[in-house]
Amino acid sequence: MKIVIVSGKGGVGKSMLTSSLALLFSKNRKNIVAVDCDVDAPNLGLWLGVTEYSRVKKVSTSKRAKIINQKFLDDGVLKVCKFGAISKKGKDYKINPFLCEGCGACGIVYPQAVILKSVKNGEIKIVKTKYGFHLIVGQLYPGETGSGKIVSEIKQEAETFKHDLMLIDSAPGTGCPVIAALRDSDFVVLLTEPTSAAFSDVKRVLKVVDYFNIPHRVVINKWDINKNISNKIEKWAGDKFLGKISYDQEIFHAISNLTPIMETNLKAKEEIIQIYNKLILNIK
Amino acid sequence: MTKLKKIAISGGKGGTGKSTIAALMANRLVQEGKRVVLCDCDVECPNDYLLLNQKLSKPKEWIYADYPTLDKRKCNKCGLCVKTCQNNAIFQAKGEYPVFIGDLCSGCGACQLVCPRGAINMKKKKTGEIYQNKIKNQFWLITGLANAGIEETGPTVDKSKQFAINFAVKMNADYILFDTAAGTHCPVISALLDCDFAYIVTEPTPMGAMDLGLILSLCQKLKIPVKIILNQADLGDKKKVEEIIKRYKTKIYKEIPYSKELVEAYSRGRLLETNLIV
Repeated sequence: MKIVIVSGKGGVGKSMLTSSLALLFSKNRKNIVAVDCDVDAPNLGLWLGVTEYSRVKKVSTSKRAKIINQKFLDDGVLKVCKFGAISKKGKDYKINPFLCEGCGACGIVYPQAVILKSVKNGEIKIVKTKYGFHLIVGQLYPGETGSGKIVSEIKQEAETFKHDLMLIDSAPGTGCPVIAALRDSDFVVLLTEPTSAAFSDVKRVLKVVDYFNIPHRVVINKWDINKNISNKIEKWAGDKFLGKISYDQEIFHAISNLTPIMETNLKAKEEIIQIYNKLILNIK
Repeated sequence: MTKLKKIAISGGKGGTGKSTIAALMANRLVQEGKRVVLCDCDVECPNDYLLLNQKLSKPKEWIYADYPTLDKRKCNKCGLCVKTCQNNAIFQAKGEYPVFIGDLCSGCGACQLVCPRGAINMKKKKTGEIYQNKIKNQFWLITGLANAGIEETGPTVDKSKQFAINFAVKMNADYILFDTAAGTHCPVISALLDCDFAYIVTEPTPMGAMDLGLILSLCQKLKIPVKIILNQADLGDKKKVEEIIKRYKTKIYKEIPYSKELVEAYSRGRLLETNLIV
């Protein structure tokens, strides 16, 4: 079973919730594995108090075009690249590595001029947490492309650990890393907060979840910063509503000391336990 | 005419206050008599219009990308397209015609180029929209919006950005502000490229610090100067953020304290009703 936590908007508390649910599940089930699929900015480890990993594997999931012979190129190449990664400077053609998707289209038309080269674009970090379960983290190096492919790769890596539940923390947005996190998943927890922005974003990401036909439930974080919008979201969620978590500035302090929420005495802890209890009834 | 200044607002981590600061900063420049275009480059989840109490009613322009379709009369099932596709977006069962998997396709066109029989045609598919709102005198908002389910949103950012720059030039604007998505991958890179400098908004937590390091490393690679804004500066602990800042030999440009008034105005989408100046 794979459960993914998504939100659309960033910073609403995905990793906070994922880490807390991981601790609760690991206490009650034998084998879980936690996966951080926010490969741009993977923070799940910090929420579990993890700062060091026992194993780091470099991965190469993307390629990049390299010009090996200028004289076989002409202006046609500028049009071949759909990503605007090729430009002309004086007489020479240049590839902007930050825009190149590594699709190889230029090399097909100009085989003598361009080759595709693999790049090490990220890494997979693995650690057994002190709670007994494994944490698998993907990290795309800043400026590299191929976040969706790294997400698929870490999910595959996670599969190799014995588990009956995989808990996945997704990236914000609705694009490739989110789509890759959702693919083949069984259940989604949508996390939002009572702001017009977060409400709008969660509705957008739900469209992607629905596209994959994955059942979902809704959790509201910081529900009391705007009770009016919170009520609206609750109504919108209807029977998919799972629970809500209060706003608490103490969370900032707990996290600054890398103390997982489930090891504090904050109100949020009790609220997350209630959410967990309701969630397990829904996924059986 | 003075040169149009291009400034990005980014941050690595989500929810640090990028959009809030972008909107308030744009408003402050307008109050100082400048002509300002704010461009929302968070095309997967654009929020600036909501914070500024606007509606996205009618697109000004549509964004298209090319996607492959197969002409079965010409295809001889050779499988070259399958081998060529770097996104693994073409699937072919033994002895069958290849099938294009839409949600893996980036629209690069390599399959069409490689097909020896000309059996693949590229067809335009709508992938996004660009909206234009007038917030008030001398203050405009351009919003790029990618259709939900679109994988590659970098090109949507590029097109929205180009539209916004053309519009800013036409309006004789002094400033164009690009509010980016969270993260450090394609859509963020597209938003950052060619900017004069970037404001990097972070928060005083270990997560904020970690992601700050990632975005600073990206800006360094892209050779974009940065100014760091520490938001909700009085919450949490800024020690970790300061460590990262020291490592990158830069400093905190501005600290913004937590403000209940701001959080409230943000939640309702009435940012400009606050008296806060950024």
